[in-house]
Amino acid sequence: MSTLRFMADNFDEVMFLSWEHIWIVGVALLIATPIGVILGIVITKHEQLASRVLNGANILMTIPSIALFGLMLPVLAIVNMGLGKVPAVIALILYSQLPIIRNTYTAIKNVPPSLVDAARGMGMDTWRRLRELEIPLATPVIIAGLRTAAVMNIGIAAIATYIGAGGLGVYIQQGIARVYPEMILSGAILVSLLAIIVDGGMAMLERLATPEGIKVQRKLSR
Amino acid sequence: MITYESVTKIFGTGRDAVTALDNVSFTIPQGEIVVFLGPSGCGKTTTLRLTNRLETITRGNITIEDQNIMDMDAVELRQRLGYVIQAIGLFPNKTIAENIAVVPKLLGWDKERISKRIDDLLQMTNLEPELYRDRYPAELSGGQQQRVGVARGLAADPDILLMDEPFGAIDPINREEIQDEFLKLQAKLKKTVAFVSHDIHEAIKMGDRIAIFDRGRLVQYDTPEMILTQPKNKFVADFVGSDRALKVLGLMRVSDVINRRPKNIIRGGDNAKDALAFLDEKGFRYGIVIENDRPIGHVTPKTLKYENGPVRDLVEHYPLFLKERTSLRDVLSFMLMHDQVTFCALDENGRFAGTVTYNDIQKVVRESYADEAESGENEVSV
Repeated sequence: MSTLRFMADNFDEVMFLSWEHIWIVGVALLIATPIGVILGIVITKHEQLASRVLNGANILMTIPSIALFGLMLPVLAIVNMGLGKVPAVIALILYSQLPIIRNTYTAIKNVPPSLVDAARGMGMDTWRRLRELEIPLATPVIIAGLRTAAVMNIGIAAIATYIGAGGLGVYIQQGIARVYPEMILSGAILVSLLAIIVDGGMAMLERLATPEGIKVQRKLSR
Repeated sequence: MITYESVTKIFGTGRDAVTALDNVSFTIPQGEIVVFLGPSGCGKTTTLRLTNRLETITRGNITIEDQNIMDMDAVELRQRLGYVIQAIGLFPNKTIAENIAVVPKLLGWDKERISKRIDDLLQMTNLEPELYRDRYPAELSGGQQQRVGVARGLAADPDILLMDEPFGAIDPINREEIQDEFLKLQAKLKKTVAFVSHDIHEAIKMGDRIAIFDRGRLVQYDTPEMILTQPKNKFVADFVGSDRALKVLGLMRVSDVINRRPKNIIRGGDNAKDALAFLDEKGFRYGIVIENDRPIGHVTPKTLKYENGPVRDLVEHYPLFLKERTSLRDVLSFMLMHDQVTFCALDENGRFAGTVTYNDIQKVVRESYADEAESGENEVSV
């Protein structure tokens, strides 16, 4: 109850921090998506790059977020951006790559070879095949990758408060420092809530992006 | 016309190199269906895929209407050749109309022309346009999907159609039907068709000629009749099967062996005694009774004996009549089923056209295999 009262008393601040949080994650995802999707598509056409790119994205993923912020700090300090939202957004972009690239790559690879063959045999060039066949069929899985990235980033963004990026992590960090349980809980609850809402929203998007013919196929094969 | 000239395809390099196609030369004439036949891995599919450059030739030339395919742009070449693969080749995210429209759209046809073409093609392949245009492939049965596949291959009205086991994924009953439909269509359209199959029955039925492949080599390129009656070697003989005499009969029609003027004709109004005398005199074992140009049955000396009256009351009726188009395979089957050595064929108006006897059938089979019987070669182990 006291946590709820804390949120009610600081309503404006809650809204501001939530907005900041969404902003960081949103901007990161907006930039990460084209990079990841394009990389994912490129490596389906250049198989020799695939394992290298996927391994690279994998390694990025294993770096703890705090360590990554620390690593970027001296580099970005050169342009006077070692702290704040910029390093946070960059870190989130990097973390997003693995789920986005991997899902894009897998989804396009999973388009049945017979369909690709038919498309080639009828004289569709690579670009046409991507646009009319491979991407439409891959879209739901690509969005599933974005969904993973978004939910994961909402969590990681909470830690970005340590480099002064703001967001809901502020409540968690300051709450710990001040031994203020209501503040910690508010931060934690709001981050979780945000993650759940975004997850639900993306799930809906996934359904919307599924081509009608595939929906029919699924319904009939059930 | 498609000409294959010493075409060789090697997959891989160095020690991993596999020769998929070895120095193959033949020509597909304008307006004919040529079936590429053979067991899996024999090179038949590779030959087809070389034709639209889905694979690249290692050595040799393929020319289409005297134009070397390597001098053409691969994408343009493919748009010129209709391509039909098994039912799974329809794009699941596109409606039937959109699937058919793929190549016309690539060729930049305008909307109205495409839409009209879609309706024409659906009608041509026995699918109600109003009902199917906006459906998705998943909503159609296997046979219907394959019809759409054929329609899609024909969409831009190509002169040449490449078909890769197009009816392989359909159940036998529907396959027969769609094969018949395709043949009817082909009789009108007269496309030049390269048709890959592993099914000898399909090859005999569909092919004007059959190209039999074995381990990358073209073993025999001939008409179905020649393949069945004069297989070039043991491989071909084994592949077409030890029942190939029956398969030959499947290719022949009543009109090929019919006896249009049998001598053992008796009128329905004739007296039994006269008829008996006639049969005895000529030494016929039976007579065919005809009345008003229609065969009503047959009589034997046994049925006529001690009788006195018009023959028409004494005949044994035929269980069925043949048409000129009936295959000899079916005729032989009727003979076995009905214990009957003669059948009468009727013309379109139901009038007597002639007779087919067991001996006639035996004779054509014997003639077909005359060479083999004489030389004693090509013996097939059973």
